[in-house]
Amino acid sequence: MRVLALALLVCCGGALAAEPDDAVVVSALRNPVKKSYKKMVDGAALFEQRRGALAPAAALRFKLIARKPDTSLKNVELKVEADSIAIPLKVAPDQTFTIERNRTALRENAEVTPNRKAGTMTWRADVRTPGLPPQTRRLGDLRLECEVGMKAGLISNYPQGFLGWLDGLIGQRPEYCHRAEPRYLFFAEHPVFSVTLVDGARREVLPVDMLYGGATRDPKWKQDKYCDCEALFDHAYFVPLGDASWPDDTRVEIEYMGPNS
Amino acid sequence: MKAILVACALLAGCATQAPKPAPAPNLRELVSSLGVGRSTKSDVRAALGEGTVVNFDSGYEVWVYRQPAVEKPPTPAAELVLLFEPSGILSKTRVR
Repeated sequence: MRVLALALLVCCGGALAAEPDDAVVVSALRNPVKKSYKKMVDGAALFEQRRGALAPAAALRFKLIARKPDTSLKNVELKVEADSIAIPLKVAPDQTFTIERNRTALRENAEVTPNRKAGTMTWRADVRTPGLPPQTRRLGDLRLECEVGMKAGLISNYPQGFLGWLDGLIGQRPEYCHRAEPRYLFFAEHPVFSVTLVDGARREVLPVDMLYGGATRDPKWKQDKYCDCEALFDHAYFVPLGDASWPDDTRVEIEYMGPNS
Repeated sequence: MKAILVACALLAGCATQAPKPAPAPNLRELVSSLGVGRSTKSDVRAALGEGTVVNFDSGYEVWVYRQPAVEKPPTPAAELVLLFEPSGILSKTRVR
């Protein structure tokens, strides 16, 4: 009899646990990605300051990028969160969004948080001048992307000495982008075969060492799981941002690996 | 004296007849021997040897061959980049 009662209790307990009304929904994500809202606002302000010089017709958005091959950013939710507020941000189907200035969020040192775990995704500024041909970026746009990205603290933070070449990037300010060949990674929409700078009659194909995160010079590139290009090695490229011989209107023509493209 | 003259002549002959090293084929010539849409990795390996290989999760592979700069005749450094489709067929080339 006692055994039967115990069995009933266990069964009923199971049924109760499955009852939707009593379910406990855990919405907080353990170890979520976080970015400083203030830094992103500062990045947007820098965009407004520098736009006239580098990309007068461009608009700024921020972009979420998957860092792990199995991370989907479809339907990602993003919010600005502080002690007293939580402001949802609208993320477009291409995973871009904008940041608005909010006094309370600034005062409370808010964070920008997607519902994804740390290490599964990364961030970039996205500066686009409208009307460019397909598979073409504009060098001034990329220069401004780098400056805004650095100001906004979008590059993931790694322990000092951990990353070799990337250590030179961490902790740098927008001035880092003025170096002749900063190792600031850009990501194309598709896997890249070739990148060519074009200014009038002058054309220059970038060396393969400026593609794929420099993998052709680093035999251990496959083990470099800490670069934020991990899932997008084949989309990644550097450009000579600080080479003043290339004007801001220089076209950056991208040839993709596949026909989609 | 005659012996010295003969020796000089022989030495001069040797100097002029020493075989010149054949110039290394440049990368543009090498790439012309490959067939985009036709050559396989084995074909390329047989023609060019081992390059630097970068393989991607998509199945695509990039092979890189480099030629250092040469002073005489002045020849700038060059690089040949080959792209293989996941099927193993050469799909794109470029020389820089």
